[in-house]
Amino acid sequence: MIVVPLRLWRKPLDSEKIKIPEGEVHVLKDRCKGCGFCIEFCPKEVLEQSEEFNIKGVHPPQVKEETVCILCSFCEAVCPDFAIFSVKKDCKGGC
Amino acid sequence: MTETPTQYPDSEPSDGIRIGVYVCHCGLNIAGSVDCEEVAKFAAALPHVVIAKDNRYTCSDQGQELIKQDIKEHKLNRLVVASCSPRLHEPTFRRTCEEAGLNKYLFEMANIREHCSWVHLHEKGKATEKAKDLVRMAVAKATLLEPQEENVVPILRKTLVIGGGVAGIQAALDLADTGYKVYLVEKEPSIGGRMAQIDKTFPTMDCSICILAPKMSDTGRHPNIELLTNSEVEDVKGYIGNFKVQVLKKPRFVADECTACGDCSKECPVTTPNEFDIGLATRRAIYTPFAQAVPSTYIIDRDLCLNKENVITCDKCLKACEREAIDFEMKPETVELEVGTIVVATGADVYDPASLVEYGYKKFPNVITSLEFERLINAGGPSGGHLLRPSDMKIPKSVAFIQCVGSRSEKDGHLYCSNVCCMNTIKDSLLIKEHWPETRIYVFYVDIRAYGKGFEDLFKRAKKDGVLFIRGLPAEIIEDRKTNNLWLIGENTLQKELYKINPEMVILSIGIEPRQDSDVIQRLLTLSRTSDGFFMEAHPKLRPVDTPTGGVFLAGCAESPKDIKDSVTQASAASARAGILMAQGKVTVEAITPRLLAEKCQVCGLCARVCPYNAIAVDKETKRVDLIEAACAGCGTCGAECPFEALTMRHFTDEQILAQIEAATEQDADKKIVAFCCNWCSYAGADFAGVSRMQYPTNVRIIRTMCSGRVAPKFIEHTFARGVGAILVSGCHLGDCHYLNANYQTQKRIEKLWKKMERLGLDKNRLQLAWFTAAEGEKFASKIKEMQSIVDSVTLDEIEKSKVIVKRTAR
Repeated sequence: MIVVPLRLWRKPLDSEKIKIPEGEVHVLKDRCKGCGFCIEFCPKEVLEQSEEFNIKGVHPPQVKEETVCILCSFCEAVCPDFAIFSVKKDCKGGC
Repeated sequence: MTETPTQYPDSEPSDGIRIGVYVCHCGLNIAGSVDCEEVAKFAAALPHVVIAKDNRYTCSDQGQELIKQDIKEHKLNRLVVASCSPRLHEPTFRRTCEEAGLNKYLFEMANIREHCSWVHLHEKGKATEKAKDLVRMAVAKATLLEPQEENVVPILRKTLVIGGGVAGIQAALDLADTGYKVYLVEKEPSIGGRMAQIDKTFPTMDCSICILAPKMSDTGRHPNIELLTNSEVEDVKGYIGNFKVQVLKKPRFVADECTACGDCSKECPVTTPNEFDIGLATRRAIYTPFAQAVPSTYIIDRDLCLNKENVITCDKCLKACEREAIDFEMKPETVELEVGTIVVATGADVYDPASLVEYGYKKFPNVITSLEFERLINAGGPSGGHLLRPSDMKIPKSVAFIQCVGSRSEKDGHLYCSNVCCMNTIKDSLLIKEHWPETRIYVFYVDIRAYGKGFEDLFKRAKKDGVLFIRGLPAEIIEDRKTNNLWLIGENTLQKELYKINPEMVILSIGIEPRQDSDVIQRLLTLSRTSDGFFMEAHPKLRPVDTPTGGVFLAGCAESPKDIKDSVTQASAASARAGILMAQGKVTVEAITPRLLAEKCQVCGLCARVCPYNAIAVDKETKRVDLIEAACAGCGTCGAECPFEALTMRHFTDEQILAQIEAATEQDADKKIVAFCCNWCSYAGADFAGVSRMQYPTNVRIIRTMCSGRVAPKFIEHTFARGVGAILVSGCHLGDCHYLNANYQTQKRIEKLWKKMERLGLDKNRLQLAWFTAAEGEKFASKIKEMQSIVDSVTLDEIEKSKVIVKRTAR
């Protein structure tokens, strides 16, 4: 919010060290009724509609870009059918 | 002191008007190019003039004493002093009048220094003729002057300080300690400004934040200071002593319960480069700009936060905050303040060197700016105080500083010297030497300006410690692709040889520039800016912290680039100046507001339509027109608009201005230019041309009005009817008018006149309209030069024709 005329362009020195939670999104495809709330409300736009049909004949969501998920779990909260959930991603480097 | 024999007119003036004229030599400032004795002799022969004298320094005590004696002895009831600009000494001589028992509105000044001797240095004959004309004009106006009573306005004992950098902090503390209520408005989430970003200060090498932080917390908890951070001034109305200010307080989304524990920030999942560290470190969406921030309350950057309006998708911070201080429902709030004085301490921006392609900033990672350096060398900064090369995070073994980046340049950046960069670089080089004594340091400079107390010592110390100073800036920086080292190529102008040096890191010593949004404050407070873009003071020497707007003062880099010490000094000066007003508790307002002649008024409402201040209330049903004196600023636009001459502008009446016009055009009118100049910008611009000794043709005669909006079409028609060669109407730039927007009326009127001239077959080039700021002396001078050719090309036939036509068609 500080107004700096120099547009910030450098990679922050601590960008490697900053820890941001990473999430893993799981979809229970056949529970989905295709309301699309999870896709619409995901703040990081992790999800998109898939091409496939589920048992109810709707397109369940699929993960488009999992690396940007920050585990807010809003998809879980907003899903009327308990068809989606996110868990903390296991990582090897001990993050 | 030479004194001409006093000449009395043949008979006593029948109307009892007795004018005394004093022509000042101002040493040789005037007498060097104007024959003052002759001017005084000329003045003595003018109607109503009872006594005329010339003396060396009229403004001196003896000079004033002489006037006072003469007023009593010769029963003078009007006074004319021909000397410098009324913007400088009108108050002095008005006081002289009062001391001699004469109403101060019975004084008139002829500006024969800034507008005559200084701009016609080598044309003594013509300059003397012009000085005579100027005296004749002043005497003509003085004859019609009338005594006026001034209104007394109370001054609220509260101050608004705009900007919370070190200057704003100092001004706020000084005023608050004196006992006045202070509102300190800061745009950023924390006060502290640039000084908070800097590691050490020169020349004492004090830790910047260590000496600033106590002042910041004093400000935060002072009972007389109300801190409004994350806030911006949106509107200012009113006048000296009685400003009504609207401040937009943007929401922080974190309440004051916040203890700045930082638990929320740890949980926040979104990051962005931190502005405070110039992007060298990251921050979260909920953050505090730096550890010592005041107020310490965290803030949420809603542009970055995942939660948009009405949708809370992420509640990690909410959950982490034990004090439950986070509130996503906070709304922006408009706070109304009433203050008596305003201190502008809005600070400065830094120059962006990316536009200097030859230095490769933003292209080569190891070329950094001096501000980035400050964050890198700061122990609390992103690198923990290690000067790391951005390309490989190693400490460089050789470093080069390049001076005057964006300063003192005709080509790129700014013409002026940024004042602080030389010493800042010397300080920086010593800091490097302190931590890593083996580092080779080169400083490429134009001149080293170590002008202040203790500066030269520091410079010597740097040289002794082995910092290499090389005169001559590199022409180009080339990067070694493999090592990311940099090749600097240029000429050492002291030794007249080329250099090619290969340091591992380059620091660009960037200059200071005016805030990009300076125009907002400029508009709200009707301030002026110099050609550099910094706010202009009322007088560069004697009123350096005052502005042309009464009750508004300047502090810090908003006025010009300066170091911390100067900013603090100026802030204390500004608070003293504001304190003087508030201690008195009242101020008199110039008696230049209009008076209504009810018998002439037709209640048409035109005056109310052009009034920039809504100071005229017209009720057509009851046929009542009320002038609201407290709201009126005296621009005179209403007076120029009234078709029935029902408004008399006190001290600038139609009769007085017409008399000036007639006096100016009495001789050789066809070779003259009559210029109408507004007091604030164009008259001041003409003064500036004088102060800078910019020479221009002698045939211009300037008539001062408060605003160009005062220039009624009939003045112009009358001037043409008098057979003048050309007319210049000038004012502040559109949008910069001292009276909000009154100069748009000027533009409308002149455009109308141009159309009329075209219709009548007159050369409309003879009427010129131009806008000047108080700093555009050069523009004024070249406008007069340009108009000279118009006057030269006008034939006598044309002048006669216009005289006849204008007389016939004038309303």
